[in-house]
Amino acid sequence: MTTTSAETVIAPVRAKAAASGATVRRKQGFQHGGWFIAPFLLLFGMFVIWPLVRGIYLSFTDANISGDGASFIGLDNYREALGDQAMWDALGHSAYFTLLVVPCITVLAFLLAMLAHHIERAKWLWRLCFFAPFLLPSTVAANMWQWLLTQGIGLFNETFGLTTPWLTDKSYAMTAIVIETLWWTVGFSFILYLAALQGIPAHLYEAAKLDGANAWQRMVHITLPMLRHITGLVFALQALASLQLFDQAVAMMDFGPGPELSTRAFVQYTLEQGFTSYRVGYASAMSIIFFVIIAAVALGRMVLLRNREEGGR
Amino acid sequence: MGIPPLNRRQVLAGLGGAAVAGSLGFATLGTGADALASGADVRVRYWNLFSGGDGANMIAMLDAFRAEHPGIAVKDSTLQWGNPFYTKLAMAAAGDRAPELGVMHLGRVAGFSPGRLLDPWDEALLAKYGVRKADYNPVLWNRGVIDGKLYALPLDIHVQLCFYRKDVLKKADLLGDDGRMIQVTSTDQWFDVLKKARKVQKKGLQTIGLWTNDQNFQWWFFVAFYTQLGGQWFNDDTPANTEVLFDADKATQVLEFFRQHVTDGYVIPGAPTGEQFINGAPFTWEGNWSVPVFSGAKLDYGATPLPPVFGKPATHAESHSFVLPHQANRGGATNEAAHQLAAYIVQHAQQWAAGGHIPAYTPTLSTAAYKKLTPQNEYASAMDHQATEPKVWFAGSTGVLAQDLGPMVVSSTMGSAKPASVAQRMKKELAKLLASKNPMDGTTAAQGGAVA
Repeated sequence: MTTTSAETVIAPVRAKAAASGATVRRKQGFQHGGWFIAPFLLLFGMFVIWPLVRGIYLSFTDANISGDGASFIGLDNYREALGDQAMWDALGHSAYFTLLVVPCITVLAFLLAMLAHHIERAKWLWRLCFFAPFLLPSTVAANMWQWLLTQGIGLFNETFGLTTPWLTDKSYAMTAIVIETLWWTVGFSFILYLAALQGIPAHLYEAAKLDGANAWQRMVHITLPMLRHITGLVFALQALASLQLFDQAVAMMDFGPGPELSTRAFVQYTLEQGFTSYRVGYASAMSIIFFVIIAAVALGRMVLLRNREEGGR
Repeated sequence: MGIPPLNRRQVLAGLGGAAVAGSLGFATLGTGADALASGADVRVRYWNLFSGGDGANMIAMLDAFRAEHPGIAVKDSTLQWGNPFYTKLAMAAAGDRAPELGVMHLGRVAGFSPGRLLDPWDEALLAKYGVRKADYNPVLWNRGVIDGKLYALPLDIHVQLCFYRKDVLKKADLLGDDGRMIQVTSTDQWFDVLKKARKVQKKGLQTIGLWTNDQNFQWWFFVAFYTQLGGQWFNDDTPANTEVLFDADKATQVLEFFRQHVTDGYVIPGAPTGEQFINGAPFTWEGNWSVPVFSGAKLDYGATPLPPVFGKPATHAESHSFVLPHQANRGGATNEAAHQLAAYIVQHAQQWAAGGHIPAYTPTLSTAAYKKLTPQNEYASAMDHQATEPKVWFAGSTGVLAQDLGPMVVSSTMGSAKPASVAQRMKKELAKLLASKNPMDGTTAAQGGAVA
């Protein structure tokens, strides 16, 4: 993201300063900064670094849940995982969810932000309405929608005169989770867009108006290009978050894998392998595979973005 | 496990979790100190998974034990049912921090590495406190026996039942002289009963609740009717569990039977089963744990084991059992107290029966107090007709077997796959499971020797 470009500016300055008083600064830096970041480092090490290292190790063993008697089995877990149809199905569900959610949320967040930006009365109320669902815990949001969508007694079907089995039929279950997710998380992207909209200098619009551009032209030629970066960011953040689909899906499906396994996401399948089947080694290997996939998506976006920026200049 | 990059929400959740875990840790320390300070000679730590009505009944039984045995301090901990419970129990047993007494589903015992994570019961000690094999249904008792030793002492069985509304069935003339539902012994008779009930029932409701979308219930029902047909899972002659004896034709029959409820329109897929029953749907198939719910709603209802539509009576049964989690130096007074506590609760399960469960200790079943319980007295016979999963490591309540085969049954009942092809897929999956190794000890079902 923007850190790369900031680094290139700051780095030379830093290098110069470092050369002048390196020893003094390092000592002071440790005395002050070190203690300030120590609590974070401790937790980071305990809950991120150590589990990660341990997970990589376990993925090469046949460790079970009880934590004893594991032996090294090389790449067997990985070999098995790559041939495990259930794993690919679960990955497919996560990917399908991502494909549905990301474009919808981007467009919806943009539209809501435009609305909230241009509306004149009770601005705060609109902002609050669009953002408030994001503040709910995932289980609360999921539980609410579970009630709304339940067949026979749910408000949703009742209101629209439907009898759709949202939560119990495999052709609708994922859609139900997508709807819930849109409602629940659109607020976050909405705020990003709103901030970006407010950051567009007014003189651009004034100049365009003087030149005779209508509202549509102003949006297409000023607003959208000025929001390009934020759109990229929203897209990437949503993609990464959506691939990790888990909590709202299990909560809406009563902690099961959904009708005929149709909403079992990758994370959930990994959890089942580890804690229902007790195969911690195998689950670790799947986690590493997932980690690689997520990292590839994140890196892919970075590379893409850099190429585009360089090409643009 | 390897964790993908954290987002803000996860970090906050993690910190919150750490704080909660920390405070719980202190809380446990506190109560532990209290228990020791109470002046008792022996302390029994007892982990169970009972919440709700079951939890209240269990605590009442523990309190009764405490009142009669002031020398024994019982420190009970209720943990969340399901995988979190089994995970904690396994880790504690492997790390030698296990409690003196625990509870497990009987079907899970074979997969829980008996001998390594579980210690065997001392049958002489149990007999000293009044519990003998003779007091049990022999089939049930033997399910807890592995390699010749008793690893699980059943407290109850809980079975799948056919609940029916007497007020509705009366109108359709489907009640016998004893006020109970008429006997049904074939699928034709069964659908005839449904047809008659539908004519008189409240409109807009389904005729029967079948949990058509629920992989656990559908699996339990499958086990019941497959057993009624005399279907087998694996061979039990030596060497046992080397061959899949699953009969795809019989399985197809069962799956088609389920499917017909949907195609004939007796079921509204996805409709809430218990609620519809309370509102007037004539039938619902549920676990016996729904008894307190329906009794609480003051319904005029009865409950029989699942109807023997394939001739032989059999209904799915699981069992809450006491186990001794492995302790490196198990023995002495604490171990004896654990035996004493388990034996006491097994023998004083009258209160437990109020929760709908059938007490495993058979003398309880013939007491006048139990015989007065309705509808419990109507389905107590299920004790002698238990349909259970095979005794292999991958079986058990919400275990691997149910998790793999349950969704297949659902796909057939819901009509997204043909019964015959689902039966074939089930057979294939069983072969795969039979060849796979128990992650707890690296043995297959055949090598595990988990046969009585």
